[in-house]
Amino acid sequence: MLAYSLLAGVIFGLYFSLVGMGLNLVFGVMRIVNLAHGDVLMLGAFAAFWLFSLLGLHPLVAAPIVFAAAVAIGWPLYFLFVPRLLRARDPEMLSIIFFFGMAQVVVALATIAFGTSERSIPGRVLGNGPMHILGQSYPTAWVVSGAVSAVTVALVTLYLYRTRLGTTTRAVMVHREEALATGIDVHRVSAIAFGIGLGLAAVAGVFAPFMLGSVRPAMGADINITSFAVIVIGSLGNPLGTVLGGIVYGIALMVMQSYFSSWANLLPYLLLIGILLIRPTGLLGRTLRHA
Amino acid sequence: MLRKSLGALCAVLMCFSGLASAAEVPSEIKIGTLYASSGNYAGVSMAQYSGLKIWVDQKNAEGGVFVKPFNRKIPVQLVAYDDQSNTATAATLYNQLITQDKVDILAADFGSVLTSVAVPIARDHHMLLIDQTGSGATFFSKDNPYIVLTSLPMSSVWPKHVTAFLTREGPKLGIKRVALLYATNDFNGTQAAALRDAIKATNGAVELVYDNGVPTNTTSYTVTINTIAATDPDAVVALGYVNNDIAFLRNLQDSGTRFKWLFTIYPGLETEAVEKNVGAKGLEHVFTYLPSSVMAYKPEFGLSLSEFRAAWDARFPDGKVEFGFNSVAGYTTGLVLEKALAATDSLDQLALRKAIVGLSGKLKTIDGTFELDEATGAQIGETQPLGQIELDEHGHLRFVTVYPPELATGKPVYPAP
Repeated sequence: MLAYSLLAGVIFGLYFSLVGMGLNLVFGVMRIVNLAHGDVLMLGAFAAFWLFSLLGLHPLVAAPIVFAAAVAIGWPLYFLFVPRLLRARDPEMLSIIFFFGMAQVVVALATIAFGTSERSIPGRVLGNGPMHILGQSYPTAWVVSGAVSAVTVALVTLYLYRTRLGTTTRAVMVHREEALATGIDVHRVSAIAFGIGLGLAAVAGVFAPFMLGSVRPAMGADINITSFAVIVIGSLGNPLGTVLGGIVYGIALMVMQSYFSSWANLLPYLLLIGILLIRPTGLLGRTLRHA
Repeated sequence: MLRKSLGALCAVLMCFSGLASAAEVPSEIKIGTLYASSGNYAGVSMAQYSGLKIWVDQKNAEGGVFVKPFNRKIPVQLVAYDDQSNTATAATLYNQLITQDKVDILAADFGSVLTSVAVPIARDHHMLLIDQTGSGATFFSKDNPYIVLTSLPMSSVWPKHVTAFLTREGPKLGIKRVALLYATNDFNGTQAAALRDAIKATNGAVELVYDNGVPTNTTSYTVTINTIAATDPDAVVALGYVNNDIAFLRNLQDSGTRFKWLFTIYPGLETEAVEKNVGAKGLEHVFTYLPSSVMAYKPEFGLSLSEFRAAWDARFPDGKVEFGFNSVAGYTTGLVLEKALAATDSLDQLALRKAIVGLSGKLKTIDGTFELDEATGAQIGETQPLGQIELDEHGHLRFVTVYPPELATGKPVYPAP
């Protein structure tokens, strides 16, 4: 039972790495907190649902489409809102308030558009029956979702560490003003990162019906809490830390569900408190960040 | 002179009396309630609210609802706020309905979680709480006359036929090991406790091999299903809300695990919503409650199930609010209020309660026989038989009533193939 929980935790954790990755990338580059992150995920989930229901589009095909659409939407949204937020005396606090408001608007509009009912895509779309890994059986939909998450996270890592744009993105993450002084087009880099952040959330949404049971307009708030737990565990502003945070969260959740199921919803908060008390910079954090 | 003066005085008194009487007749009966347009309970809450609204619109189209103390029909005004499935917001809004809007009748939002905060508030304000679907057993006590449960039985009554089946028929079928999984809230917790007690009372003929709760917001059950399967149960009872049932049944299907006997609540209660998400095949052989939205009771008052369904489809053709038991529950609340207002001596809250209690055993609606425990206000009628879902030759869902024997329309399929 423990082996089953541990492996399930890794699969689930990979998915939550993807869920948290976009939020951490946006925070790392712009130092703004996107409280509408979970709602972007919800929109991605509904996009996948409607693409599947109306056009019969497979989620694996829908994922890049949804990603591209989110990036395309994220680019103008960045220039419309983010520079104004960054000019504020306290951009982090202002962004929390701003994106909280945005989240409410998105949920309200989604409720009007989609109704309040649960929606999902059949698990068999990603493969029939269970898949056997190391002597254990897991839903194929889970394994595929976990694998797609791993590949997506790997692509983001490649982008950050093996491309010129990624290098400039990391330079902005280290020090925005110094990056600006060296001639980096900070706004262009940030706009791309913002778009990718939204795109990653939307792709995570495509696989939400398989990992989270079903989707509904108000699911974003719970996703935000989990995402924050994941990125704080890993390290705020460090996208790679998100992978570790996701896996730690996933394993802890599955072990809790196996042995102390009634207490499982306390887990994100317990992990947050624990990490903040023991290692405030997160597992992969190097130094305290001075905002 | 004296006669003239007395005559004038009488005329003035009669005039004042008439004015006073006219002033006392309210221009409308205010029914205050809450709904959740978002959050965990949105789907079912909106269904319940929409059912109540169909009744309100129907009555207003007929010129209002007959109110006995005024001997006339009075239009109904529904004062409703959105609590977003949040108990803190709901508490504030229940207070607002009572103290600011000064509603004549207070009806709770869906389910035990959102009703739980209304119970003490209504009691403190000496306001009768029309509890529509909040069935937590702790809400009802002999020292609180300010609550009545209108549209479904209290939670401890719900599993009556499930426990009877498992403890009486189960051993004959070979069911001895039962796994119990429940979401940790009043509604599911009370049912789990009733089932647990019944199984303990069998003195070992049936035993619990798994007995654990999960948070109500749980959306991933694969690991839990694996843990339950490891206990090798003959029967699994999984109690949750609709989102729990959808996630559980989807995970069960995807994991390839099969239980010989499986009971969940919502395939019967919110069939459309569950079938859309799980698929008909995923519901085959699942045991569930058979509520009034399935049983088609013959009503002596109000619309029949087919008439109500037609009214619902006309009202919500886009399917954004799905038809299910909670739609019937909201409509039933309206019917109970209609009967009570036609029988009450005044709009005083305890008079209203007396009128509602007076309907006990006499009111037969689309929701079955309305029957209250007079002492506590808990619903003990409107019970729900145990059914099993089978597929017909076209692959459509078909409900088979398997218990109690007097209502049975078929034999249970055990073990599920």
